[in-house]
Amino acid sequence: MGKFITIGERIHCISPVIRKAMAERDPEPILKRAKEQLDAGATYLDLNIGPAENDGEDLMKWAVQLLQSNFDNVPLALDTANMKAIEAGISVYNRAKGKPIVNSADAGSRIEYIDLAAANDAIVVALCSADGVPADNDERMMHCQNMLERGMMLGMEAEDLWFDPLFLVVKGMQDKQMIVLEAIKMFSDMGLNSTGGLSNNSNGMPKHIRPIMDSALVAMCMMQGLTSAIVNPCDLRLMETIKSCDVFKNNTLYADSYLEI
Amino acid sequence: MPFNAKSMKFNANINTVEIGTGDKAIKIGGENTFPFYTFDAPTVNAPKVGIEISDMGLANEPDCIKAVYAGCESVVDMAKKAVTFEGVDFLALKLEGGDPNGENKPTEELVELAKAVAEAVDAPLVIEGCKNVEKDAELLSKCAEALQGKNVLLMSSKEENYKSIGASAGLAYNQKVGAESSVDINLAKQLNVLLSQLGVNSQAVVMNVGSAAAGYGFEYVISTMDRIKAAALQQGDNTLQMPIITPVAGDAWGVKEASASEADVPEWGCVESRAIDMEVATAAAVLASASDAVILKHPVSVATISKMIKELA
Repeated sequence: MGKFITIGERIHCISPVIRKAMAERDPEPILKRAKEQLDAGATYLDLNIGPAENDGEDLMKWAVQLLQSNFDNVPLALDTANMKAIEAGISVYNRAKGKPIVNSADAGSRIEYIDLAAANDAIVVALCSADGVPADNDERMMHCQNMLERGMMLGMEAEDLWFDPLFLVVKGMQDKQMIVLEAIKMFSDMGLNSTGGLSNNSNGMPKHIRPIMDSALVAMCMMQGLTSAIVNPCDLRLMETIKSCDVFKNNTLYADSYLEI
Repeated sequence: MPFNAKSMKFNANINTVEIGTGDKAIKIGGENTFPFYTFDAPTVNAPKVGIEISDMGLANEPDCIKAVYAGCESVVDMAKKAVTFEGVDFLALKLEGGDPNGENKPTEELVELAKAVAEAVDAPLVIEGCKNVEKDAELLSKCAEALQGKNVLLMSSKEENYKSIGASAGLAYNQKVGAESSVDINLAKQLNVLLSQLGVNSQAVVMNVGSAAAGYGFEYVISTMDRIKAAALQQGDNTLQMPIITPVAGDAWGVKEASASEADVPEWGCVESRAIDMEVATAAAVLASASDAVILKHPVSVATISKMIKELA
């Protein structure tokens, strides 16, 4: 097994600084956040440009080229509700360090993101939900099967669909947490890759609690077979936990300096 | 259904490290498959074979090696002769006389010898220390300085002395650094990390991950090498993608099968062929596991292993 793949989530237009930088095509704030995340150990960077209805294509191209030219063709997850913008981003994307990730498809209104990934030889995040939170794992696995079949019919390799169980917030859905973990085990038993917005579990919690909850959950998820997560790599406790779990899983060989590399 | 062979070519590869200069320079490493898996991908750089001589000349050598170098009056003479044997890709000079618990030769004397040998032969040169970490730190650092421009590999940079050898060989004098650990995968990785944190270019590092004679804890050697190669290629671990060099001679010639006299164990037969057999068996096994280069003592072993490589690579 390969190492756990972290997708850095901090280039997101929900942040006022990033939104402004994207609007003004100001490289500095974006490059700063990219560097912080890569220095902290992120493999992929998520590039969320929001709905980007007006100039999405132009913006995505600019941002993809900006990041890849400054950071040795860093692999990227292209994240927007504007499908044309994702295609535009892929058209200028350099695959030397990994395929682009389309973020994200679901089993409902965003099912065509799978088609888009298939047509462009990309990886796709496949959220196992159609409308809102799935009722149970029967529903999750039904969506999983449907999306898997759709992708494979279109010529995708199964390994290029990264299934997202839909992480749920503890404050409000504490009783559903083990079900999410069981879904990850089911993906893993089928040999499938998986990912997701893991820090969703700690939404609404005090700032100093979140790294603790996220770290505990990532360890439990990795035990279940989760292969990737969309996280804040600048959370040191979380990254240390991931690196330690990679050692326990024999995904990486231990060395005394393992936390520094 | 027709049989479709699945290629096990990896997306990662071992670093290529060049030793020596000019036409005789060698490249070791570079592969993206397991050893001799030519059905997965063509061989990039075939494994290389070195021949080892010592600063002690023939003083500590068995009779058969004395016969090999008959007529040589100095270590430099031995060096000139050694590089002419069939299959020799590089020369390894072992400075064992520097050991404070042995001859304790002064560093200056050994450095002068290394320079003389380097001047006398155009084959790539590998310098081995005396196994004393303090002395090696000084000795190998001085050799790195004295042999500037020769692009030599300085072995025996260990956890205890990697800073001085790494800084001189790897940073100041642009030589190649041998990172040495003793059959300990975690330490092998750690040492590479430490050298890279020191600033040594990982493309200038060759690992010696330890060895043993076949039959003497050898399964640990092989499992260590297998695990390292798997981490480097399958897991894409760039802290372990350095090529591996294995000094086989020291271990192989030290065990009783290779050294007990015919008078003591007549039923074992000729001592020279036993020693060669031990050296060949050990070298073949480490090459089949992970080694990109081996260091041997007897010209017959060198020719045999060189032929094996030609047949398989």
